[in-house]
Formats: sequence, structure tokens, C-alpha cells
Amino acid sequence: MKNFCLNTWSRAGLTAVAALALNACAPGQDTPTPTIGVNVSRYLAVGDSYTAGLSAGGLTLASQQYSYPNLLAQQLRGAQADATFSQPLLAAGAGSGYFSLVDFTAQGFPRTRRVPGPAVRRLVINPAACGGADTIRLLTRTDAPGTLPQNLGVPGLRLAQLQVANLGNEINATPTGNFNPYFERILPASDSRTYLKVVTDAAASATFFTYFLGLDDLMPYLRSGGQCGTAPNSTLTNTLRNNAKVVLDVLTAGGRPGIIARLPDLNTLPLLRTGRGLSLQKRLQATYGDNALLYIEDPFGSGVAQPITDDEYVLATVLPRIGQPSPVLVGTTTMMLPYGRDVRNPIRDADVMDFDEMNRVNSVLNSYNTELDRLASVVYKMPIIDASKKSSTLDLNGAMPSYVGEAISVGGVLYSAEPVRGNFFSLDYYTPTPRGNALIANAFISAINKAYQANIPAIDVNSLPSVAQ
Amino acid sequence: MRARLLFLLPLFSGLTAAASGFETGPQGARVLGLGGASTAYIGSIAGLSVNPGLLGQWGDSLTRLSFGGFGQIRRSSYIGQDTYKRTDQDLTVLPGGYFYATRAVSKRVSVGLALTSPYGYHTKWPDTWEGRSVIQESQLNTYFAQPTVGIRLSDNFSAGVGFVYAYGKYSQRRALGQYDATNTSYQFSSSGSGYGVNVGLYGRSGDNLAFGISYRSGVRLKMNNGTIGTSGVPARDAALYPASSSFKTQINLPSTLSVGLADRITKNLLLTFDFTLNGWSTLDSLRLDVAASGTAPAQRLSTARRYEDALAFRVGAEYQASPKLTLLGGLNYDESPIRDEYINPEFIDANRLGASAGLSYQLTPRFALEGAYAFSYGQQRLSRANPLNATVSNVGGTYRTATSTASIGLAVAF
Repeated sequence: MKNFCLNTWSRAGLTAVAALALNACAPGQDTPTPTIGVNVSRYLAVGDSYTAGLSAGGLTLASQQYSYPNLLAQQLRGAQADATFSQPLLAAGAGSGYFSLVDFTAQGFPRTRRVPGPAVRRLVINPAACGGADTIRLLTRTDAPGTLPQNLGVPGLRLAQLQVANLGNEINATPTGNFNPYFERILPASDSRTYLKVVTDAAASATFFTYFLGLDDLMPYLRSGGQCGTAPNSTLTNTLRNNAKVVLDVLTAGGRPGIIARLPDLNTLPLLRTGRGLSLQKRLQATYGDNALLYIEDPFGSGVAQPITDDEYVLATVLPRIGQPSPVLVGTTTMMLPYGRDVRNPIRDADVMDFDEMNRVNSVLNSYNTELDRLASVVYKMPIIDASKKSSTLDLNGAMPSYVGEAISVGGVLYSAEPVRGNFFSLDYYTPTPRGNALIANAFISAINKAYQANIPAIDVNSLPSVAQ
Repeated sequence: MRARLLFLLPLFSGLTAAASGFETGPQGARVLGLGGASTAYIGSIAGLSVNPGLLGQWGDSLTRLSFGGFGQIRRSSYIGQDTYKRTDQDLTVLPGGYFYATRAVSKRVSVGLALTSPYGYHTKWPDTWEGRSVIQESQLNTYFAQPTVGIRLSDNFSAGVGFVYAYGKYSQRRALGQYDATNTSYQFSSSGSGYGVNVGLYGRSGDNLAFGISYRSGVRLKMNNGTIGTSGVPARDAALYPASSSFKTQINLPSTLSVGLADRITKNLLLTFDFTLNGWSTLDSLRLDVAASGTAPAQRLSTARRYEDALAFRVGAEYQASPKLTLLGGLNYDESPIRDEYINPEFIDANRLGASAGLSYQLTPRFALEGAYAFSYGQQRLSRANPLNATVSNVGGTYRTATSTASIGLAVAF
């Protein structure tokens, strides 16, 4: 008699009025109790921009609090009350700066501006950087630099830099130095430790880990349309594979349980997805009301423009300029022609990830993912997460929108790769919004539930904000 | 209680489908107490709306009236498939009422009128629940008017035919969860009418056994005056969600085919049995044909429902306790027309087992007071949401549903 709100028969001698009232209660159901089969009392998160909680191109207190490791830790605490999690939080209002939305162009592409961050204490400018001057922003140090945080996510951290000494030491903060300001701010001043050493130190007390590293190794190449960053070749592949084993050896030492995430398909990122060749062409034709094709420069420099295909991606940062008149030298006269929408004014190579560039970077990514899978199942013998593929690593593609179809539907809300309106990705076309982070955290939760016979509740994604500032 | 009634299940296991859906239940206090098994029951003129063939049986010199009201509380609880959060629907009372009148115009011909509210629901979830972007509140009310003619074919047989005019109101409200502001909402409302017919036959063999059979056609409520409104949408998306637009839709109410028996076991005890086939399969999907508004183009919003035809089985008992007091009881099993794949929190239904009790008290030779209460409890239903299917807006989880209906009315004969 679960449907009755009173729990004993002793109260059953009721008047008809009372019977009516009690039947008006909603029928009961038992809610599952959160449980977990492994000790998560000290969870250690290792990763790059995603793990750190970078959002809209910047780190703020709110974006850190909505990082997927922090959201995950909150859910873990429901199953194990003594679970702790610490992050290198910025002070309220003291962010590193971020992008905010100005408006949409007539074609529906967002225009952004950069809001300066009060946490920036020094600028280092490299005027000779590939693709234009680059600025490194040194940030205020965390409150407790003596104690390493459990969230070791560092924005912009490249796995290739795993064993670079002084990566977080201000003496390396020179225009061409190997330096990461976000790493610097979680360490004491003048600390020469490598990222690997820091992970080793923090892992000593950790009982559980997540690993989601490697995406930031490929991003500079993607952002520059294949012009800058480490060239994706077999050297990079081997570096990533070897370094992954080095850091995972530390994390899985002594059979420490955890979740290793593979990298998602790069074309799920809005940086590429919003500018997918033929979809973009169709969208522009619809808003301009014409049949103009999109042209890109021939990547081999023959000087002949070629029509775009679906294997080529115009960078999202360039999209507001596509179709806008720009000066081109045709013969001896300079003409104003719509950028990209005229065969004489093709989209520059630096603004497109073309077929070959995509192939190169994807082969690195696939090889790295395969190695992660092999390490997890063969070397570390971690429990299986995806039974159908016999895989012991987490495939994040299922959590990302636009993997199958163009959107996913969560509780009646659509999430797509579209910035702002898609709610998943922030305005840097790369990192997630708080809701995107929650969907990633839910993917980790689902993986933990499968691998460790746990019963951790997922996050109600739609109740989180869609911007982290 | 459910476990003890499990012996009934084999009876129904051979059936492919059953009734219930958003029927509000028997339309009359006395037939509610009887569990709704009234296709061959002439103890109350409320049977008129179920079987017009009964009308010929009230062909004496009396004018009969029966009227009253009922309230239905239908509540479901929900547990999120992944979030494990429990949400109970808000308490809502769906009001309803009935009015019947019969009068003989000649020895063989009688006329009658039935005003009922046979279909409806009022689903209200808390505004902040997990599925708020799927549905927050949905309400359907219908009113049927059925003028009826009954003919007494012989002492033991009668037939009847009624014309049904139906009016319905439908409204819905949900949150636009893609926006951070919690006060953004999307709502629509519409109303419209439709027509149908109701025919039936009643027969008796001797004094102890009677049967009835009736068919009521489906009714299509054509709603052409719908309005959609949104509020709280940020200015940047004003073109996607116009503040107001108009739409047309149609709601198909099911046909019903009922077969019933009434058997007088002893002088004081009457048992009745009913089988009803409800043609819910006409309710295939909810389509809103939205007219163009501003820069937003005309579009069709379609939500699949794919209801199945459904059977209901009902048993009732009437016991004459004293010359003035009649006691009523009933049991019913209603199959749900909603398939597992199409469970949607807008309207939760399940195969339900119900029991009812009622009484009729003869205040004076002309007036009888009737009252009844019915309770039904549904199976647990599991709904799975597939995020990769972006065209379906839903939440995954388990649902339990219970329904309480209370009715009180007066029967007059003069």
C-alpha cells in the first residue's frame, strides 16, 4: 500500500473525508540511494582548459566553480560524504578576462568583445608570434600556493610540455619562453617543478583520478587554420603517446581507480563545426538570397581558388567577415569583392582548416585515442566502460552535441554546436558553458557508474546557467 | 491490494489493448459507484450517455432528472532516470458535472438529454521540475451535449440514437529552458467543437438477465482559434519566439464500443459487467499549424502520441440494503492507450486497477441522493529519453499514477 501516505494500518480507521485527503497524495516511489564502490575521498583531476573550467576564453571564479571536475565532485559527495575537492579559485570578480557577446550579424554569427580581467598583474607580449602578436597574461597567485589543489587542470597546458622544467616559473615568462601563466599561479613563486612532478606530488594522497589531457596540444594548430602550433606529424603523435603513458603510470600507480577520457572529434568543436563547408555555404545563400559558392585558396599555393567541400571548415572566428566586401587586386585594379563568396576573393588558407590539415590532425588524435584505450585496458587493466566496444576509456563524443545529427535534446532543451544559442559551447568556440560542463560531468558519472558499479545521480543540466561570467 | 487482485491479470493478458487515457470516468454518482459498468444498467438515467438504447426503458409517465458534480484528482510522481530526483505533480482538481433528463413522448418513444464532461485532464508539474522545458502545465476540458431519442421495440427490447455536440478547451504551458531566466515561458490555448453520434441497443431475457450494446463515434474537436504566446524571451531571439502567434489544431477523441450484461443474482443483488473498446488510435499526434508571425515563418509543430486502441473491463454490484438505501461497489481494469515509447509528462497514464463504492439514498419518493468515490492505481511506467534524437522533447524516468474521483448528485423523478 505504498500509494497511501500514512504508513501503518493502525491509522486506517479513518473517516471518508480523511481517506479522500490521503489518496490525494501522489503515489510514492523509492528514490535510489547514491552509492559508489570505490573510495573517492580525494579525487584528483588532471587536464587542460576543459578541466580547469575555462569558459568564454577566460577563467573566473564562476567558471572555475562550474568546471566539470567540480560538478563531478559535488555529485560524488552525495555518495561519499567525506569526499573533498579543492580548486585554485580566483577571488570574486578577479578573472583573467573573457569574451562577452556584443550582437549577432545579419547571418546570425555572434560578435564578441574581450572584457579585461582584474586578475592580470603583468603582460608579456611576443610581437613575433606565428599568426600575429601574442600576449601572455600573468595572473594573481592562488591563496594557498603551498598546497596543491585537487583540480590540476591548467588552461593551455600541452601534454608535450609534461616534463618541461620552469613551465610555471616566472623567470620563463619571456616572449619566447616555455611558460604557462595558469600553471604559474597555482605554484609557489620561483617553483621549477614540471607538470609531471606536480601531478606526482598531488597523486600521493589521491584515491581517484580523471584524465582528460591532449586537446590543448592540437588547438593552436586548429585556431591558426593549420599555420601555427606544433605540426601534427608522427613526432607529435609519439610525444603525446609516450607522455600520456608517463603521466598515467603515475595516476594509476597502485591500482588507483579513475576515468581516462579520450579526446572528442575535433569537428564537434564550434570553432570548426559552425563553419563546415557546405552547411555554411547553404546558410549564407539563404541569408543573402543568392546562389554564390564559397571558395578557398588552394592549399598548395597554385593560386587557383577552389569551391569549398564538407571536409573543409572555415574557422568560426572568421565567419562574421565572410561575404563582407574586402579589397582584392584583380589584374591591375583593386576591387571590393565579398570575402570568400567570389572566385577572385577566396578564403585565405589561414582562415580554413582544409581537407589535408584535418586529415593530419585527425590522424594524431586517433592514434593518441587508440593508445589511451590500449593503456587503459591492456596495461592498467581498468574496468570496462563501454561493453559493446570493450573499451575502458570514456568516449566524450556521446556527450557532445552535433555528433549524431546537429543537436542533442536534454530534458526538452536543445544543445548544439552553435555558440550562444546552442548553450553547450562558450564564446571562444572551444570551451563549454556551465551547462556543457555539466553534460561532460554527466558523461563521467555515467562512466563511473558503469566501471565501478556505482549509482551516482546525474546533474539536472538545464538548471545551470548558460554563461559562466 | 494490487497483489491480491493479480488473479485478474490472466483475464486480460490476451487483450492487445485497453481503455482509459484521459477519460474522466463514469458520468454520474451512481454509475461511478458501480465502477462504470452501466451499458446494461437501468438503475440510473446516467446510463444514457453510455448507451442510448436504455432510454426506451424509462418510457413511463415520469419525467426523470439526474444531476450532480464530480471532482477528480489525478497525480503522478516522477523519478528522474539519471538524476534520481523525485518530483510529485502539483495537486489539481479537475471539476466535472453531469445533467440528464428523460421524458416519454408516446408509448413507444422517449426523448432525453445528456450533458456530460467525459474527457479531460489537468496536469501541473512544479515550475522548476526537471522536465519544465517539456511541460509545466497542460489542461484539457471537454463538454458533451447529447440529445437522444429512444424507441421501445417491444417489452424487452429498446433502441436509441443520440447526436453528440462536443466542445473542448486545450491549453499548455512550458518553460523555455535554454534561457537562464526562470520566467521565460511558452504557452498556448485553443478551443473548438466537433460532432458525433451515439447508438445503442438494450434487451432483456426474463427479469433476471439484461444486455446492452452501444457505439459512440469518435469526435474531432477542430480548434481554429489557438493562440501561442511567449514571455521573457531575450531581445536577441525575439524573431525566433514571437510574443504572439496563432495556430490551428485538432484533437481526436476516441470512439467507444461497449458491451454489457446485468444479472440479478437475488432479489436485492444486481451484478453488472462491461467491456469497452476505446478507439484511441485516432489520436496519432498533436499537430499545431502555426501561422506566420512577423519574421517567423509558418510552421507545423508535431508531437507524436501514437495512442493505441484500448480495452476496459468493469464489474459492478448493486445491493438493496433497505427500502431507502442502495449500496454500490465496483472494480475496473483500464488499459492505457499510451505506448512505452511515447510516454510524455504532459499526460501520464498507465494500466490501472480501480475500485469504487457508492450509495443512493431515497430522501423522499421523488428525490434520491447519490454519492460515490473511486480510486485507481496505475502500474509503474518507465520512459526513456534519447538525447541523440533531437526532434523529441522528453525526460526519462519512472512514473506512478493514482486517481481519485468523488461525485455527488441528485436523482429526481416526478
